[in-house]
Amino acid sequence: MRHFFSYLIPLSILFWSAVAVTSDYYEQLNLKPLPQSNLLASFNFRSNTSLSQFEAHNFRYFPRSLGQILQHVGTRELHLRFSLGRWDAESWGARPWDGTKEGGTGVELWAWLEAETDEEADRKWLSLTNALSGLFCASLNFIDETRTTRPVMSFQPEGNHPNSTLANMQLLHGVLPREVVCTENLTPFLKLLPCKGKAGISTLLDGHKLFDASWQSMAIDIRPICANGEECVLQIEQAIDMVLDIERSKRPRDNPIPRPAPGHDLKCNSSKPYHSGDTCFPTDFVEGQDWALDQVFGKAIKGACPLSNSNIPPVCIQVPHSRDIYTTAGATEIKNPNGLSRCYQIPSDDGFSFILPHISREGEHGVTSVNDIVEPETPLLYAERSFTGHGYERGGVRTILTNPSLDTEVEFVYMESLPWFMRIYLHTLKTHIDGELRSSQDVIEEIYYRPALDRVRGTQLELRMRIPPASTVFLTYDFEKSILRYTEYPPDANRGFDVAAAVITILPSDSPDVPIERQKTSNLRTTTLLLSLPTPDFSMPYNVIIFTSTAIALAFGGLYNILIRRFVGADEAPQVSVGGLKGKILAGIIKLAEKLKGAKGKVE
Amino acid sequence: MNRGKMHFQGTAGLYAAAALLRLLLFAFFPGLPDLLTARVEISTPVTSFKRLQEGLFLYNHNVSPYDGGVYHQAPLLLPLFSLLPDPSAYPIFTYILYIIIDLLSAEALWKIAESGEASASRLFTSARKDRRWSGYIVAALFLFNPFTIATCMARPTNVFTTCAILHAIAKAIAGNPFTAMLALSFATYLSMYPILLLPPLVLLAYDRQYTSKRASSLPQFAGINAIVVAFCLSALFLGSYLLTGSWEFIASTYGIQLTLTDLTPNVGLWWYFFVEMFDSFRAFFLAVFWLHLSCYVGGLSIRIRSQPLAVLTILVGIFAIFKPYPSIADTTLFLAMVPLFRHVFPLMRYTFLSASTVLYSTFLGPAFYYLWIYAGSGNANFFYAITLVWSLGQSLLVSDLTFAMLRDEWEMERPEMVGKEIRQI
Repeated sequence: MRHFFSYLIPLSILFWSAVAVTSDYYEQLNLKPLPQSNLLASFNFRSNTSLSQFEAHNFRYFPRSLGQILQHVGTRELHLRFSLGRWDAESWGARPWDGTKEGGTGVELWAWLEAETDEEADRKWLSLTNALSGLFCASLNFIDETRTTRPVMSFQPEGNHPNSTLANMQLLHGVLPREVVCTENLTPFLKLLPCKGKAGISTLLDGHKLFDASWQSMAIDIRPICANGEECVLQIEQAIDMVLDIERSKRPRDNPIPRPAPGHDLKCNSSKPYHSGDTCFPTDFVEGQDWALDQVFGKAIKGACPLSNSNIPPVCIQVPHSRDIYTTAGATEIKNPNGLSRCYQIPSDDGFSFILPHISREGEHGVTSVNDIVEPETPLLYAERSFTGHGYERGGVRTILTNPSLDTEVEFVYMESLPWFMRIYLHTLKTHIDGELRSSQDVIEEIYYRPALDRVRGTQLELRMRIPPASTVFLTYDFEKSILRYTEYPPDANRGFDVAAAVITILPSDSPDVPIERQKTSNLRTTTLLLSLPTPDFSMPYNVIIFTSTAIALAFGGLYNILIRRFVGADEAPQVSVGGLKGKILAGIIKLAEKLKGAKGKVE
Repeated sequence: MNRGKMHFQGTAGLYAAAALLRLLLFAFFPGLPDLLTARVEISTPVTSFKRLQEGLFLYNHNVSPYDGGVYHQAPLLLPLFSLLPDPSAYPIFTYILYIIIDLLSAEALWKIAESGEASASRLFTSARKDRRWSGYIVAALFLFNPFTIATCMARPTNVFTTCAILHAIAKAIAGNPFTAMLALSFATYLSMYPILLLPPLVLLAYDRQYTSKRASSLPQFAGINAIVVAFCLSALFLGSYLLTGSWEFIASTYGIQLTLTDLTPNVGLWWYFFVEMFDSFRAFFLAVFWLHLSCYVGGLSIRIRSQPLAVLTILVGIFAIFKPYPSIADTTLFLAMVPLFRHVFPLMRYTFLSASTVLYSTFLGPAFYYLWIYAGSGNANFFYAITLVWSLGQSLLVSDLTFAMLRDEWEMERPEMVGKEIRQI
């Protein structure tokens, strides 16, 4: 890049090099083998543009389509997430990026908008969601007022904002837990990249692999960064994190249907006493990881992206240095001094792949963990949320929060944004610490609660909590399921309604002597829940209208008759006189009816 | 005074037995109150005790309970209940409050029954007036009605409305129109629909007052009483405004009854109708349903002018069927007033049919609800069908009672027709 510009006149060299400092682009793929034959692949793409360039509509690495939307609605900071699956914290450990680049299942969007009033913010939010909906082919336009909240404690701006704009920035947050993230969301995501998926690590991104992952999250963050003494830049960071099941990914493309392995290929746990030639206890995942990059992703990297900063190696893998890795020709290996990771500079005009070969072990100790992967870190907090109770009438939510640390307490904000048709009873909110009998209300330090209004807005509940070391807290509350108008049910109403994930923001610790991972904010999200509501019979609106109207007409008509008509003796009533045969038949029927009634209707 | 003393001695045993029965039920079945509170047949969105607790919790934590979709009850209930200790920790105080309310209702009913107004009003004295039940029996029938006991244990807030309506009637009969109007204002403030009882209540108060004072003409009397009600209601609304700091309680408590935004199942006819209603006709049918509910007032007041208490009874019965969020607590009020008309029971034609329909739906309703909500082997139509039967049974009872009252009147004109077969033309 520089090489090309050096042929230009000296003034423009100066100009361009100045731009190159403030507007740069880099990308990196971080591979981290996880236990049980899983592989975490974190793609990170980041580009900067100076604010003055951005305001002059001079987009270089910053995507123009997104930039124009942001300028139109006065967005100061934007975060968009597309996620699928569940992060298995018990076996995979702490989340990538401390959970700050993931969303709840579905689509999650939060942004700081510049607005004087709430109404202006709502208006801008509406046009932002509609524009993003078109850009990302997602149903973001369904983030209406019932799904929008204004979090109070959970989210803080990540960028640097001058105090003048901070005063009238409004945070809005919306979730679509039912949205199915798929290929049509990936394509526009890749289009935003400078290399557009044609070169660099983004060539590995393929809908078939990404959406086949056990867990995946696509993130877009846009924020202004002001370093000391330099011009502020607007940074767009795109990240994709995915956990691939290696066994599943290694299946050949042309024969993707899984078939049972023949007996001689089965991996058996030979330590079982009944292990013999014809009995086998299958051992999954105990063999060390062996795979090749082009094998799990289906293709090799098509050279480095020429626009990216060449100082930063594009591919890194976290395995101990004791393991050998064989790469394709032209790549240079840079080992990290900590002994646990290494990175690769890859050639810009040639494909790149590597092989992590099989390592042989002493046969008898199949189960013992060998030093072939880096042990995952323990997360700061485990969270699990589920429904309790049965039936369509009422239920409860129970969240189990565990602090695994033996010596440090953890402080966090727990945020729920629930749909309005889930009517929660805040007076039933209880916490208790596992093993302690007393109800420990002091776990909750602060509550922010905005109750739901029918068809207008959902519930917003934020709790600031502090959990003592090595303890588990059960947080429970009751709710009532409401019945909706029949037009408000989605197609397939008996499937249920998705309830958005709870967002947990672990607050940075105040004391200075804690480890580095506790000094910054980290996030974690529970899974979404499926809420089944009582359903009416969708096939019979007409019948119901007719039946109810009949019941009312019977009551009204009966009473009306009694009130209006005059009483006379049965013998004083004028006879019905209709001529002809018809009249005779009618009179006969009436007489018969009178006789039948006479037996019953005689009164005292 | 002397009579009052005698009356107290006569009823003390009855009231003590009723209170003891309730206390024993509370004591020996500690899970029963919460179970009944959760039943849709007793607790509706506008009366539920659980929602009251939620409103109370929000009120005590400085969150406006009306800025939410759960609490739809009158604001003055909040300070009343926050005076009591926390119901989840010390439920006994709430139990005692509800028992006292039941006894107060019974006391009012006693007075109404003892006055003999049901069979002998100013303009009409029934030929069968000797065949009435004493206040003791009427109060006992109210206090030991299983519906009343279930209502007392489920603690919905419309027992306060019931109590206020009964006291309004009792005071009107006692010749205290202003106290009666005050009680009616309280009932209206709590539940809105009792305002429709104003015309017959004014007539009743006028009739009862006429004999003693002969003060003014009926229009003048009605005007004064309407102003009294308007004044009391404004004072209550103003007090609520000062209490909650905004007017949003109006939309949340009365607006929901007008617009029916909460469609939680109940024993009435509205919820399923408006679940299934097409959106473009929703407003129209809401208007029709409310018009239907209020159209009875004028017709009945004119047609049965001579017996205002009968009009009140029939109206209470109609409201228990057709109001937006009815529950068996409303039926309780109607069933409490029916025994006042013991003298017309022989003229009723469908007593067996309506009694068995009501019993049938009482037993089958919870079963069908269970099938729909918990077992999953039935759908919403099951419970809907049973609410239809319940409403039909009750409306049969109401129209049958009306028929009996009118025939009783007619037989005064034509005594020779007693016991003869009649027709209506």
